[in-house]
Amino acid sequence: MRKIFIWVGISLGVSLVIAFVALSVMAGGPKDALYMVRYALPHMHRGNLKVGDSAPDARIYALDGAETFHIRGRTGAKPLVVVFGSFT
Amino acid sequence: MEIFNDYKDHADFLTVYVREAHPTDEWQMKSNLKDDVCYAQPRNLSDRLAIANDFIKRFKYPLPFGVDDMTNAANDAYAAWPERLYIIDENGKIAYRGGMGPFHYNPAEVRAWLATRYGEVKHSAVKTEEKKS
Repeated sequence: MRKIFIWVGISLGVSLVIAFVALSVMAGGPKDALYMVRYALPHMHRGNLKVGDSAPDARIYALDGAETFHIRGRTGAKPLVVVFGSFT
Repeated sequence: MEIFNDYKDHADFLTVYVREAHPTDEWQMKSNLKDDVCYAQPRNLSDRLAIANDFIKRFKYPLPFGVDDMTNAANDAYAAWPERLYIIDENGKIAYRGGMGPFHYNPAEVRAWLATRYGEVKHSAVKTEEKKS
């Protein structure tokens, strides 16, 4: 029984190391891999939206910070192409 | 931006600025240093607006623009982070949902959708070469 636990432990450890190495290669280094797990993964989510769903609404600020508008307020007459992103 | 110029008579465009992807106090990339795009994750709306305005100024960005509020409502509703493209049709339905950036962020798919509807916009080889130079 003890041997089984040891082998399971070793297998898990090796799997974790392999996963971390693969992530490091993908992210560009071990530091990037760690930061990806710490900072990026909590914000990466596939979401539930699919083609055909009603587009959600959200309030958005204009660049002056004083005026606001809604994403859905921009839809209607023509299709709306929405580009989400940031500078960094 | 070429897609915007080609189809702005047929479709509306909106850029929504969301939380930073690679701020200095989180996962900063080497490319951020190289390109001098170094900002901490904004903790309030005015910081986020300041960075967005820097972006507009640096690239003379012509698309209509809005900034997500600090609850990240738009980001969460559209699973936008770090970058994603959508098309919402005239009935308010999702007509196109792009993959999560950077690897699955594909403006060519947006162009293809618009081309199917409104026709392809071709650019002459001469114009393309002029732009490249």
